[in-house]
Amino acid sequence: MIIKKGSFVIEGLDNVQINIGKIVEPGQESIIEGPTPRPEIISLRNWDYRILDRYHPVYTPTSDTCDYCTYGKCDLTGNKEGACGIDLESQSAREALKTAIMGAACHSAHGRHLLNYLIRKYGEDHPIDVGPSNLKAPLTETIMGLQPKTIGDFLPVLEYVEEQLTQLTASINTGQEGAAIDFESKALHAGMLDLLGMEVADIIQISCLNMPRAEENTPMAEIGMGILDSRKPVVICVGHNIAAPAYILDYMDRDGLFDKIEIAGLCCTAHDMTRYNKTAKIIGSMSKELKYIRSGIPDVLVTDEQCVRADILKEAKKLFIPVIATNEKITYGLPDRSNDPVDAIVDDLVSGKQAGALILDLEKVGELIPKLAMKIGPIRKARGITALPDDAEFKRLVSKCTKCLQCTRDCPQSLPISDAMAAAVSGDLSKFEELHDKCVGCGRCDYSCPVDIPVLNVIEKAAQRVIREEKGKVRIGRGQIGDPEIREEGRNLVLGTTPGVLAFVGCGNYPDGTKDVYDVVEEMLQRSYIIISSGCAAMDIGMYKDKEGKTLYERYPGRFIKGNLLNTGSCVSNAHIAATTIKVASIFAGRKTKGNWEEIADYVLNRVGAAGVAWGAYSQKAFAIATGCNRLGIPVVAGPHGTKYRRAFIGKPYRKDEWNVLDARDGSTINVEPAPEHLMITAETKEEMMPLIAKLCFRPSDNSLGRAIKLTHYIELSEKYLKKMPDDWHIYVRSEADLPVAKREQLMKLLEEKGWKIDWEKKKITEGPLRKVDVSFQPTNVPRLCKEAKK
Amino acid sequence: MSGKAPIKPARPAEKPAEKTVEKPKPVEKPAGKIAEKVEEKVIDTTRQAVPYNTGNVPGPEMARAVMPAVSGKMLAKAKRPLLIVGSEVHDKDVLERVVAMGRAGIQIAAVGDAYTSLGDKGVDVHYANMHALASYLCDPQWQGLDGKGGYDLVTFLGITYYYASQAISALKNFSEIKVISIDKYYHPNANMSFGNLKKDVFIAALDEVINQLPKK
Repeated sequence: MIIKKGSFVIEGLDNVQINIGKIVEPGQESIIEGPTPRPEIISLRNWDYRILDRYHPVYTPTSDTCDYCTYGKCDLTGNKEGACGIDLESQSAREALKTAIMGAACHSAHGRHLLNYLIRKYGEDHPIDVGPSNLKAPLTETIMGLQPKTIGDFLPVLEYVEEQLTQLTASINTGQEGAAIDFESKALHAGMLDLLGMEVADIIQISCLNMPRAEENTPMAEIGMGILDSRKPVVICVGHNIAAPAYILDYMDRDGLFDKIEIAGLCCTAHDMTRYNKTAKIIGSMSKELKYIRSGIPDVLVTDEQCVRADILKEAKKLFIPVIATNEKITYGLPDRSNDPVDAIVDDLVSGKQAGALILDLEKVGELIPKLAMKIGPIRKARGITALPDDAEFKRLVSKCTKCLQCTRDCPQSLPISDAMAAAVSGDLSKFEELHDKCVGCGRCDYSCPVDIPVLNVIEKAAQRVIREEKGKVRIGRGQIGDPEIREEGRNLVLGTTPGVLAFVGCGNYPDGTKDVYDVVEEMLQRSYIIISSGCAAMDIGMYKDKEGKTLYERYPGRFIKGNLLNTGSCVSNAHIAATTIKVASIFAGRKTKGNWEEIADYVLNRVGAAGVAWGAYSQKAFAIATGCNRLGIPVVAGPHGTKYRRAFIGKPYRKDEWNVLDARDGSTINVEPAPEHLMITAETKEEMMPLIAKLCFRPSDNSLGRAIKLTHYIELSEKYLKKMPDDWHIYVRSEADLPVAKREQLMKLLEEKGWKIDWEKKKITEGPLRKVDVSFQPTNVPRLCKEAKK
Repeated sequence: MSGKAPIKPARPAEKPAEKTVEKPKPVEKPAGKIAEKVEEKVIDTTRQAVPYNTGNVPGPEMARAVMPAVSGKMLAKAKRPLLIVGSEVHDKDVLERVVAMGRAGIQIAAVGDAYTSLGDKGVDVHYANMHALASYLCDPQWQGLDGKGGYDLVTFLGITYYYASQAISALKNFSEIKVISIDKYYHPNANMSFGNLKKDVFIAALDEVINQLPKK
């Protein structure tokens, strides 16, 4: 008898209905390998406490008050308690949880939208195909304890995420959780759920939409504000969700419209458009949204979800650019035209009767957008519509500046705008050209100017020369790292002979422009770190060229080995970066994954030299990703704006007893060097960031060769960028073999000055190190993983 | 992070009673034309005492705006003060004043990339990460950058505005340490701060702070 999915009624038993939801074939049963499949909101609390005992939450509130309930506003200054009994420390932790939930909800809802859509289109049984991997969904396996085979298998995964997020959200309500440490444990849970939601979203789109599957050498996509031929009708898709743009690209492909219409994306939608159809192009990160709209170049704007400016309709309306909203989460008060004929909608938009439309029928969006662009494009071009001033108006505007500095005070980067205005009065536009790169395009300056100078428009007008030259290349998002690559590189990572994996992720709120990311990535590639990127950071890395006109993606290959530069893809592709560490634990070390989060995270924390860099992180999503990585044992460094997330996890090396780990061989306690020293921290400048990320790649498991390599980079980066030997370099030295060969004698002399004993005849350190090198050392923070405990 | 008893509300920004019109004395190496020009002006650092980033209003308690002599005397009286400087210290005029404060015996924490300008100046300077430093300063167990004990007064200067503001927020709410800002920005989270200053006034104010420090 063949049993199928569905509902059945048994003849003669009219009131009985049998529902069969899932058929498990023999041999397909999930084998739970760890103690926490589908962890509830406190299932991993012990692990969280272990992390938080060492990496102390540090709160930097942006507000000293709480206004969550009608008791308030309450003044919590100086850690006072409010009317409900919560103090500022707990309130700050509560804010961290709320932020992480928002981010996790965003990615998971993205995944839910895609899953429903893809199941409708391809069916639940559409197989998962992510490339050469046995461990196809590492996060799903580690968290859920199940191995998905089809996209339908992700239904219970998202149901789990949604249920957990509801539980977590409930704990924020006044009168619920009150302890900072448990808010943080819950925030870590939300971060983990975020990773899971992202993995679902990206795996299903890779599997169904034929995006690159762990491909090493994906093609290059064009990127920049200067890449489009603005004489053609221009369609710009804004956001993160490929569903609607995919239909537009299909329609254009079918009708051979790529020569007639320019189509590109802003923010992560752009990445996924290029993964779906390599003809698509990338304008840039969210920082480019307002700038590009104000240029007047787009003829149609298509929005989906996430990182879409709230004022996009207002801005577009001024320039007669119709906005088509395609996702339930962003509707802008637009009329729902989902059920209207395409031609009628086009007529209403071209005539200006309506400024935009909400269209949730994505097939209709696919047909409408090219037709609309072809019709409205020529009209807009003929009118020459742009928000940027002409030359005469530009001169008049810059002359109006009173140098009151209000724009600088309102600017997130405190840019010296009035200096650029003064230079422009005498015809020097170079200062404005510099500002264009540093400006995040928020437009706050427009509102602050007391003499009504449209500051952003002035900056962009003055920067037209550099904007025309803004043409880079990005290697199209590859998706996961395949198992064969992990097999090849895992050993080097765990032993430390590859100095580290650095993930450059997140948004474009950089403290000093996009060029910093390029500079840092170039430096670390030259030092043989593996660089994995995603999202807006992956875009910005490709924006600059060397003297030979090559971008970093053109100079460095994309394999998961030392000195390579990988782009996983969009924001949700961040999941693969975190998942890579799980793959290392599973494939290289044979650790069991299914339902075994704590053991895997413990392995990553103690053995995998990986760190994240979110230099321009701005969104709640970025915070959630970072928090999820932290629960997995991956440290993250953010730019100085990251302090406005209001919480970090910072280690205190001077508290020696907080750096004890267990040796899993016998359960003995070993006091180790602070490695990694922090889990979440910020730096003020790129010069400070570089030695910091090198240091955060140290792990207790490094062998001597690996430690020497890591120490070399830490010392060299500090000397190069901070003009000093690091104060703490010696605490990472366990024996003379840990010292970089080229500097060994010099460093031993320095150690002697610090009171260490050196046998100069044998050239050996005889006294001083915290501990000795032990190649068999098995560091763990989890007592049950020790052999004694297992007995 | 350990909590602490509520601190006393700071006084609202006001012009201090002890305000007098004083000509600032130049530091060892006078800052040339700027110093001469400013000597003729009234140095009032209590004006424009509103958060430098307009939206950075933390709550009901904000820094008292003070004259430089007040900040200088506080620094001079402190048993173990710490001066924290950041990536905006590279400016020649600012750097000269920071070095002068270091030579007056104040220990310096160089955050960001500030060490690159200070490491060879013969002052007691230590590299520190601002975020970590804020955490350590809130910890009564911490024995300072040199292991000789905690600090009773911390002063900020030459750090990216919002970055310093967040760090000061931690000290304001979770430590007992007094914080004064002698930067050119009004820092609402400090106990005391200058208002938002133009550069010439700022430099003259630093000179006035230095004048209050013991000569070594």
